[in-house]
Amino acid sequence: MSIVLSAEKLVKTFPGVRALDQATLTLTAGSVHALLGENGAGKSTLIKLLTGVYRPDGGRVLLAGPDGPQEVHFGSPQDAQRAGVGVVHQERNLIPAFSVAENICLQHLPRRKGLVDRARVRSEARRCLELLDVDIDPDTPVSRLSVAQMQLVEIAKALSADSKVLLLDEPTASLTGDEADRLYAIVRRLRDQGHAVVLVSHKLEEIFAVADTVTVLRDGRSVAEAEPLARHSRDQIVDLMVGRAYQEVRLPQRTVDPSAEPALVLDGVSTSAGHHDVGLTVRPGEILGLYGLVGAGRSELAKALLGLEQITAGEVRVHGKTARIRDVGDALRRHRIGYVTENRKEEGLFLDQTIARNIAVTVWRRLSRLGLVRDRAERALVADYTERLGIRLASPDQLAGQLSGGNQQKVSLAKWLAADCDILIIDEPTVGIDVRTKAAFHELIAGLAEQGMAILLISSDLPEMITLADRIAVMRDFAVAGELVNDHEYDRMSQAVIRLIHGSQEAA
Amino acid sequence: MRTASPQPPTASAPSAAPPGARSRVLPFWANPRLGLVIVIAALVALFSSLSPAFLDPKLTLAPLQADVSVYVVVGLAQLAVLSLGHMNMAVGRMAALSTFAMGLAYDRLGVPLLVGLAIGLAVGAAIGALAGLVIAKTGVNSFVVTLALDFGLLGLVTILYTQATDGVAFAVKPAGLAELRFDTFADYCAGELCGPRVPLVVPFALVAALGVGLLFRFARLGREILMTGANPVAAELSGIPTHRRIVAAHATSGLLAALAGFMLAANNGAFSASIGESFLLPSFLAPVLGGTLLAGGAVSVLGTVLGATLTQVIYKGLNLLQFSLEELKLYIGLVLLAALSLDRLRAVLAERRAVSSS
Ligand SMILES: Nc1ncnc2c1ncn2[C@@H]1O[C@H](COP(=O)(O)OP(=O)(O)OP(=O)(O)O)[C@@H](O)[C@H]1O
Ligand SMILES: [Mg+2]
Repeated sequence: MSIVLSAEKLVKTFPGVRALDQATLTLTAGSVHALLGENGAGKSTLIKLLTGVYRPDGGRVLLAGPDGPQEVHFGSPQDAQRAGVGVVHQERNLIPAFSVAENICLQHLPRRKGLVDRARVRSEARRCLELLDVDIDPDTPVSRLSVAQMQLVEIAKALSADSKVLLLDEPTASLTGDEADRLYAIVRRLRDQGHAVVLVSHKLEEIFAVADTVTVLRDGRSVAEAEPLARHSRDQIVDLMVGRAYQEVRLPQRTVDPSAEPALVLDGVSTSAGHHDVGLTVRPGEILGLYGLVGAGRSELAKALLGLEQITAGEVRVHGKTARIRDVGDALRRHRIGYVTENRKEEGLFLDQTIARNIAVTVWRRLSRLGLVRDRAERALVADYTERLGIRLASPDQLAGQLSGGNQQKVSLAKWLAADCDILIIDEPTVGIDVRTKAAFHELIAGLAEQGMAILLISSDLPEMITLADRIAVMRDFAVAGELVNDHEYDRMSQAVIRLIHGSQEAA
Repeated sequence: MRTASPQPPTASAPSAAPPGARSRVLPFWANPRLGLVIVIAALVALFSSLSPAFLDPKLTLAPLQADVSVYVVVGLAQLAVLSLGHMNMAVGRMAALSTFAMGLAYDRLGVPLLVGLAIGLAVGAAIGALAGLVIAKTGVNSFVVTLALDFGLLGLVTILYTQATDGVAFAVKPAGLAELRFDTFADYCAGELCGPRVPLVVPFALVAALGVGLLFRFARLGREILMTGANPVAAELSGIPTHRRIVAAHATSGLLAALAGFMLAANNGAFSASIGESFLLPSFLAPVLGGTLLAGGAVSVLGTVLGATLTQVIYKGLNLLQFSLEELKLYIGLVLLAALSLDRLRAVLAERRAVSSS
């Protein structure tokens, strides 16, 4: 095994935070290397240092060359890519209006007489895509691709003719199981071709299935370096990430009063988004899971409920009364319904506003007197929720965009918890969240239900669904395919759910 | 390959900053406001050494303050929509239409000075709200909408003035206008104690600056406008009535444009058709020099005040040194370009130093 890249004692400080503190990473050719750690441990920062997005404050990066390892200083991501180090960042980096081909060739557009050579852009992109053995038309605008396809385009873009290292930061966070499997098949092939692949993920099952070695970061330091993964159990890895013996959280036993008046009822609802005849009921204290494949119309249903799409037939009842919800403000103030969006970067957060404002935005009305927001009350509320959710920050006046991915997710949940709703729609709450925090989130959501909140949980994470939900409604093609009472038996429930998704007739 | 020596179990709460965390801030000179203060001070020193008349209270300083006041309000009018990431290309013409309404009220109705002002402000706010409504409902870019509005208003204002006056200006001089034009607080004494030599229009600008500052810093309305500017989709999904906030921001812009029109009319001593013609460029310069982003989501009122001061100091200084009008324009353009590049340079240097010193 030859070492392709090694990073030694990397240090990176941001205002108020030492993101990396002597982190070390060693990559060998022809292997898949897992980079693990809790939210905010410094994984993305390490990747950005290796690809010239940031410059390290200390330490060095060595890259294998024809005559031995050489220290490199990447001034920009282009430098890194030219040296054979490609990356797919945690946040999407494609230009939606551009075609697949243009996006792939963006960094090095082939030119002829000063103009972009369109034919070559297309042929080069086609070659990149064929390398991955994926079938996407290079002329499609990226905005028309599915999330999974975008991810593949990102990989194609990251690879160049002589690339040696590919860094993937949470590539499967928003993919379904099948899509992730397909992506990992490509990862394995790249490995067999001799690439060193780095994989960041919070889905440990996937890590154990594909990775060969593992580095664990904790608080910016490497606590395990390039160890063969086979030597560790899942629990050992989690303990390393957390820094102490980790104990599984046990969720409280909840009982739902079946005679309680439902908090939210959808009765034969059809919408302009294409839903037909959707019927759902959520009682106070109950968690109704809404499961389905990506594209089954779950988030769209939530949006229709909030007045962002039109309801064309049927009726919505809130606490027994017919409700015509105009917009999110109306839902929040008149019906006390909150909606935690799935897509934090575009829909959930104000990335260049402070964390405090991001959390307090839903409650300014309550916090103000004579139209002026009371600063002290706002500070207290923000401190309360950052503490309760364990949001890792230097100061509440920091910009939300500076938080690590997982901590951003917590902020987008915090603002709806602060809003103090009776009914909460939570869309994919634990995408990109580490093991410990995920358990804490589950505890939190179960706790909210225990206090009497009615929760509609949208999630593509089947284990999560079976852990949390009282009943699981399965959606397919913008309609409810069936509903199951959850007995928390993983094997039986997952089979029943899968059967419903694939359209077998027997609904339990 | 090795494993780090087993660490003692740390009970660090996840919310605690990682060990070794320390705070680091950008150097003080990276603050754009401070840069403006320094540039203004240097220019004042330069101009007064070249021409001592620059420090003459009556000849230069008092008119300078009056002009700065007008352009502070002009800058704030633009800032009100920059907060959304929008533009108001019709600031000048909104001012013109509002001052026409004021002139008409004084001329035909004989209302007192402040009542006429109130009428004009209402007209300004209404026309701004109309622009905002069109932008919010149609989703057409604010630049296009207000540019079209500007064009329409240009015709309308000309027609109105030819119908209602000799075609150029109202002849009427409401009581108090002359005082507003010529007096300073030094003309008002209580016994021996007289006020400072500050023109009477200055408090109008102060109130406007404080009001806008309060709006965006503490008021829910202003903050929600900023959030709408920062991310309209997230704002809507957070329960902010984004359409109403867009209308409110544009109405505020119209109102401030009307106020600036009134102040300029007071400085000139006439309600004329030419008011507002010189507003457009300075309206962008003041906030942008002061660090307000064109992208929306962040504003600086203090920076706008300093930016307006800088442009007027340059203007007055060159004027005093007897540059011709064309030269004046040329040099102002150059000086402002230099100021903007300097600002950019400072930001880059500060960033670089912050990176290497950590
Ligand atoms: N641009 C920045 N400015 C300030 N602080 C930052 C910036 N980028 C990252 N940080 C901080 O550095 C730390 C490490 O962040 P990083 O994004 O590397 O975490 P991560 O391990 O990728 O976490 P996640 O699993 O949540 O994605 C966090 O505390 C984060 O708040
Ligand atoms: Mg990350």
